Amino acid sequence: MTTELAYRSAAELAGLIRARTVSPVEVVQAYLARIDRWSEALGAYVTVCRERALDEARAAEQALGHGAPVGPLHGVPFAVKDQFDTAGVRTTSGSRLHADRVPAADATVVARLRAAGGILLGKLNLTEFALGGTLSYPFGQPRNPWDQTRETGGSSSGSGIAAAAALAAATLGEDTGGSVRSPASWCGAVGLRPTWGLVPRSGCVPVAWSMDAPGPLTRSVEDAALLLSIIAGPDGRDRWAQAAPGDLRADLERGAGGLAIGVVTRLVDSPDTDAEVRAAVRAAAETLRGLGARVEDVDLPLLPLAGAVFMALADGEAAAWHHRTLATRGAEYDAGTRRRLVTAALLPATLGQQAARARAAIRAQVEDALGRFDVLLAPTGPTAAPTIAGAQAPITSPAAAGRRFFNRRSYTTPASLAGVPALSLPCGFTAGGLPIGLQLIGRRLDEATLLRTARAYERATDWRACRPPLPE
Amino acid sequence: MTELTPDQVRALAAAAGLPLDGADLAEVTHRLNAFVDVLGGLAALDLTGAEPAPTSPPALSRDPALDPR
Repeated sequence: MTTELAYRSAAELAGLIRARTVSPVEVVQAYLARIDRWSEALGAYVTVCRERALDEARAAEQALGHGAPVGPLHGVPFAVKDQFDTAGVRTTSGSRLHADRVPAADATVVARLRAAGGILLGKLNLTEFALGGTLSYPFGQPRNPWDQTRETGGSSSGSGIAAAAALAAATLGEDTGGSVRSPASWCGAVGLRPTWGLVPRSGCVPVAWSMDAPGPLTRSVEDAALLLSIIAGPDGRDRWAQAAPGDLRADLERGAGGLAIGVVTRLVDSPDTDAEVRAAVRAAAETLRGLGARVEDVDLPLLPLAGAVFMALADGEAAAWHHRTLATRGAEYDAGTRRRLVTAALLPATLGQQAARARAAIRAQVEDALGRFDVLLAPTGPTAAPTIAGAQAPITSPAAAGRRFFNRRSYTTPASLAGVPALSLPCGFTAGGLPIGLQLIGRRLDEATLLRTARAYERATDWRACRPPLPE
Repeated sequence: MTELTPDQVRALAAAAGLPLDGADLAEVTHRLNAFVDVLGGLAALDLTGAEPAPTSPPALSRDPALDPR
């Protein structure tokens, strides 16, 4: 019973709670039981707000009893990446350097989910400072719920685990170069990177100012739409925040009929893309064609450069933010993080400017394609989740560094460089039982079409019903 | 741009006031040379008109003719 309740979507739970079919206390207890059973083994949570969540659940139950007006997430337990500030709850950014940092105020996104009635269950693990490549995790090694010897994807590692393994009703992550989509893909969840600027970054520890985008990781497309509808819109603090889109669930069930979908051949057919991933993504394109979409191939020749261009720019921004601490407390960083930041700090400025110009050219290719297609379709990554041991092996040559850091990122960073929304959802499994992620990329501020396409695909397939092999 | 040697990378790090030795030095050298390899190749691209702005101008972000909503 606990497991069945925990695997309900956030939207379903909200409905059951409003109808008083289940109580918020019962729901919080269901998740706490699963957290007790699985969080440590999977490295999901950094901090669990046990007593506070139970107190808030009792208050939510009383409010229903009094007939008080309730928000769309009333009584629904959520968890957030430990990159988002939480008033009175430590926010570590996955680093020993911030192990005792306790913010005074909630990040805007956290405040909005709580104002909608959500109950904060806790803070979720991540790669240090939301940069990929952490070698030693101070709050536990994240492990893939489908195979615990495998990577989860990052940087929103705990968010991907918690969404896939039902350790929260819904979660938030932050996507700079794929940090929501990659864990969604490897853990078998739905992950949405919104248009850059749609969701305020206030109270979110920055990675790269020009690309950071908070977004939901959930078990359903509807939940992604629900959460984004709640967290989007200006807050008066983030100068780049764009107008709120309204309730993004309104168009969810319109289907894929009439949509123009471009299959990004440069990624689908790349020699880096595993055959099983390619087959699953091509099959997904055919499913959408069968639903009435016009599906055609489209070539974006610069995309293979996107990973290196992204890292030159985003890591440069991160290195600027960390420079003083890196110079004075460098030994306290994880070795993988430190090496990444020092590399970026030493990159010649002329190469950085070339990367910035290449970004503009990549963005132009993405925007041109989105002028001809409503949605672009590609794999979220070239492979399913790799082994943890392989992902943490020493780098022994420039070619190995390129393969490790640039190639995979060329799949998720085009949307980041262009500032457009992108979503990953499950589209199959490898023969070894690992999830494969389908990436959909949309026009700027057109999350509605992106979500509508994803929902049409989700409804036409059975992937959403699959659960990781975690015994009771 | 030619590949950097560990000694050159160590000198760059010292000038930037950043700690770098041992395994860090070897790996940072590989990482930097990976960037040099890939980004050096950008010089061969025709980037005419590609200005290094982090975002598109707002007027280009939604074309009503393409997206009537």
